[in-house]
Amino acid sequence: MIAHLWHYMKKYKLAMALTILMGILALLSAAMLTFTSGYLISRASERPENIMMVYVTTVIVRALGISRAVFHYVERLVGHNAVLEILAKMRVLLYEALEPQALFIRERFTTGDLLGTLADDIEHLQDAYIRTVFPTLIGLFVLLYAVIALAVIDWPFALLMALLLGVVAFVYPAWSLFKMKQHQMKAQQAQRTLYTTLTDAFLGMQDWLISGRSHEFITSFLGQAKEADKLERTLGHWQQSRNLQLQLITGVFVIIVGLWAGNQAAEGVILPTYIAAFTLVVMPILEGLIPMSHAIERIPVYESSLQRINAIKREENEAQTVAPTIAHTTIAFQHVQFTYDQATTPAIAQVDLTIQAGEKIAILGQSGAGKSTLVQLLLGNLQAQQGKVTLGDTLTTQFGDTIYDYVSVLNQKPYLFATSVENNIKLGNQQATDEEVANAIAIVQLQDYLSTLPLGIKTQTEETGQRFSGGERQRLALARILLKNTPIVVLDEPTVGLDPITERQLMTTTFQALQNKTIIWVTHHLTMMEEMDRIIFMEEGEIVMIGTHKELFSNNERYRQLYALDYGD
Amino acid sequence: MDKQLLQYEGSKKVFLQIGVITALQAVAIVMQAIYLAKAITQMFHGAPSKTALMSFAIFLLAFTIRHALQWAKERIAQHYSEQVAEQYRERLLTAIFAQGPYQASQYGTGSLLTLVLEGIPKFKTYVQLFIPRMLAMVIIPTAIVLYVLTQDMISGITLIIVLPVLIIFLILIGIVSKNKINAQMETYRLLSRHFVDSLRGLVTLKYLGKSKGHRDAIATVSNKYRIATNYALRYAFLSSFALEFFASLSVALVAVGLGYRLIEGMVFLEMALTVLILAPEYFMPVRELGNDFHATKDGQDAAKEFEKILQQQQPELAIQMPKWQVNDTLTLQHVSLEGRLKELEATIGHNERIGIVGSSGAGKSSLIALLAGNIKPSEGQFLWRGQTYDTLTTPDWRKQLSYIPQHTTIFAMTLRDNIRFYAPHATDEEVLAAIQQVGLSPLVKRFPNGLSEAIGQGGRTLSGGEEQRVALARALLQQQAILLFDEPTAHLDIETEHDIKQIMLSLFEERTVIFATHRLHWMPHMDKIIVLEEGHIVEIGSHEALIKRNGAYVKLRQAQRGEVE
Repeated sequence: MIAHLWHYMKKYKLAMALTILMGILALLSAAMLTFTSGYLISRASERPENIMMVYVTTVIVRALGISRAVFHYVERLVGHNAVLEILAKMRVLLYEALEPQALFIRERFTTGDLLGTLADDIEHLQDAYIRTVFPTLIGLFVLLYAVIALAVIDWPFALLMALLLGVVAFVYPAWSLFKMKQHQMKAQQAQRTLYTTLTDAFLGMQDWLISGRSHEFITSFLGQAKEADKLERTLGHWQQSRNLQLQLITGVFVIIVGLWAGNQAAEGVILPTYIAAFTLVVMPILEGLIPMSHAIERIPVYESSLQRINAIKREENEAQTVAPTIAHTTIAFQHVQFTYDQATTPAIAQVDLTIQAGEKIAILGQSGAGKSTLVQLLLGNLQAQQGKVTLGDTLTTQFGDTIYDYVSVLNQKPYLFATSVENNIKLGNQQATDEEVANAIAIVQLQDYLSTLPLGIKTQTEETGQRFSGGERQRLALARILLKNTPIVVLDEPTVGLDPITERQLMTTTFQALQNKTIIWVTHHLTMMEEMDRIIFMEEGEIVMIGTHKELFSNNERYRQLYALDYGD
Repeated sequence: MDKQLLQYEGSKKVFLQIGVITALQAVAIVMQAIYLAKAITQMFHGAPSKTALMSFAIFLLAFTIRHALQWAKERIAQHYSEQVAEQYRERLLTAIFAQGPYQASQYGTGSLLTLVLEGIPKFKTYVQLFIPRMLAMVIIPTAIVLYVLTQDMISGITLIIVLPVLIIFLILIGIVSKNKINAQMETYRLLSRHFVDSLRGLVTLKYLGKSKGHRDAIATVSNKYRIATNYALRYAFLSSFALEFFASLSVALVAVGLGYRLIEGMVFLEMALTVLILAPEYFMPVRELGNDFHATKDGQDAAKEFEKILQQQQPELAIQMPKWQVNDTLTLQHVSLEGRLKELEATIGHNERIGIVGSSGAGKSSLIALLAGNIKPSEGQFLWRGQTYDTLTTPDWRKQLSYIPQHTTIFAMTLRDNIRFYAPHATDEEVLAAIQQVGLSPLVKRFPNGLSEAIGQGGRTLSGGEEQRVALARALLQQQAILLFDEPTAHLDIETEHDIKQIMLSLFEERTVIFATHRLHWMPHMDKIIVLEEGHIVEIGSHEALIKRNGAYVKLRQAQRGEVE
């Protein structure tokens, strides 16, 4: 935590220093306003002959009355700017760390919306600076300033005050952190549990209602929530009591400093006009120190965010910028075997398969049969332990990201970015002309639908593309792939969740659009198998059935049974 | 002032308590100022420290009382806000469940979650802060200014004048900054979403070969976002700037004014110091209220959202319904659902198997939602044993059903508790027997903890086929007379569907089955098929009869096979 903060503090030291300086000046302005006003009134009460004797003081008082708000305003702006710069940097770093493992994030982290959580985590770290780092450092500097100023007049007393103020600036914060750390973590844990429980309950509301147990659930959830409230209450009570204690300490300080100033005046060390000034300045100074306890106490709140971000390990891999040149686009799997890190059985076992340019292949199999592994081996994202996977006689692992110059992928949930339809399609090829875009839209048969929208292709897709139905989203993604124009297209279960009629329409369009390309279609149904050159069934990492629809239909009883299901008999 | 605050149970009492405490606090604040000023003046005039000590002691007493009262006030407010928030949490959850999953999906599960888990705490903070802040804002400055007026008319008038000026300024700033910020809200929203959008779309970017280069886009957009935010903050911080500015400037003005009058001998030191000490206290409540402005605004917004949902709630139906028995029939008479289903007429017999088919958007899910007791028909009745019912949304009906949806919810519980969800008292033998029947035995063997293995969120994930088997096992244990299926196999691969089909068919025996699906291969196993088109029933009959009829059902089969365009 500290190391992380320190790293960025150093990196942006100028902005940080300016923020803290402004914060100190704002606090000192408040303190000096009180100090000078106290002095002014005391001095005025001596009724000096000439009003000019206090004139300078009145000017200072007026200036201080203005400067505090100005300094504070500048502090907040500069501080936020610095923090936003840090966040920008962190976003880039997090992205760089996630990018190489993008395809495997789901397997590595089982938690729900990990990516959304990470993005939120970065936002939360704003508070680490604004609500913890800045108030703490500003408080420390003010403490130092006050003690030094006192030391000039009376250093033993300054030492005593340093000790006493240390109680407010160090003892209470440390104690708060120690005492409430477990508590804060428990409260966060409780909040997470509530979140999981309620998500489940809302998704499974039907089950709760039918089981007649919804009252049971509500009661148990309210009980859990009450426990979480209790944790919050303890935290709140602690803060209230601490505040009371710190205020009482402030009151005692006022008296100690007051009596000291009275004594100093009696001994002639300071003028009596300064008694009010010293006595009254205690409160604004302590006002700057009291928030330190709360600032430090919050540290555990950021820690879990930071831990999650740091858990994303950086993997260095060199970006490949130039694609290897290949003479042809035949894909070959030769005696390929692949086993995942901690698995006991291979995910792909002894696969031999050659896919010629322009061939249309369907891959079927139950979940865990090895379909996705096969695709990832083809894309060079996984490396076979035995045998080799080649594209045009070059190992697919040698392509790096340039593999996508040859292979496009249409997956189950292509993402539509929160920008216009046009920009989304152009992701396939930024240089595409308007004509090419219009042509792609026509091929995927979206022109009629898009022309009904008032903004046409300039329509925003809205968050996660909710404006469009499943079939329309796939068509948009297909348009993207058309612009990309690669010789090979992998269709990774693009029709899951679509109804049979939409599925058939989408695939008909797809096959028309991709006529001369190699198509590898991972699918869960037998719809349109007649169109494929070869159909492959996988089971436990092996190819167990292979052939054309005609061959399989006439020779294979199981295939006939399955086909009957899809045919609707 | 939010009038709603006075409506909550027990709020008047809390207002009164906190009001009295605040009034006492105001007295303590004035006392504290008087005695601190006295102590300083005594020392200034060189009085023995004993005299000053006495004044300091009274100061400390008043100071202590003031902060002890503050403590008490916060306790009361916290306690009360907890109570109110708890009540709302209960009412809200009860309302959400009473309105059912159909309505919940209309609101959006995500926003309901946020509302309950974040809205309630926001609302709580609002109640907790707002009552004491509001009262302090009224009582404390009034008390202080009244006292100051008795001491030094001119300072009192200065303080009185500044407050309305300050408020006018705040309103002006509010209007200006709102316009400025609203003007670029849309860009701002897009920019702020860009990062999470990029992360969620990372796989797609990767497949497009664009993921490496996108790094620069993130840097650029983050930077734009920073600039846009800075611009907005410049205005957003203006109001707290104004608050501080006026507060400290008026303290300075009061001090300078007092100084001149002291020189002229119009006032005395002790009184002047008292006023000087009181001046910042005068502004304190309004500054605190200003600082908590956003917290209170969020809380108020959340409260409005709660009301929207609570108003939708209808009283729990106490309609008694009989048990579904042999020879029973349920007849739908002119049943409609606004915008979705029109004038449905159909009869469901005991142990009949009924298939519901139709293309997307024809109304299959709506009909299932009606029959599952999730939603009330907008018109029409259900006739059963000579009695008509307006709706099936009653506990008596629901508890006779088993419901198997397209995506079964796997709760974050053990495998055992997931399977006996509807029958919490089932023994391990019964659970294992159900597991055996649905073909989940290999899964149990694979799990190190067997039945006690945690599944769902935070536990092991199951494949789609395994999830549906869990649903079937649940239904087996539950042993209900009526089974409802809503696309149970739509997202399964063909082989898994084939395997599960045999298990499901055996489950159909001796039960009433209502089965909505796109997968027409189930239809030959049904006694009766309801074909829906745009919310109407266009055909009813057995598979054979409908094939012979060569109407909508046959057309649907052909469309799915791609035989017609």
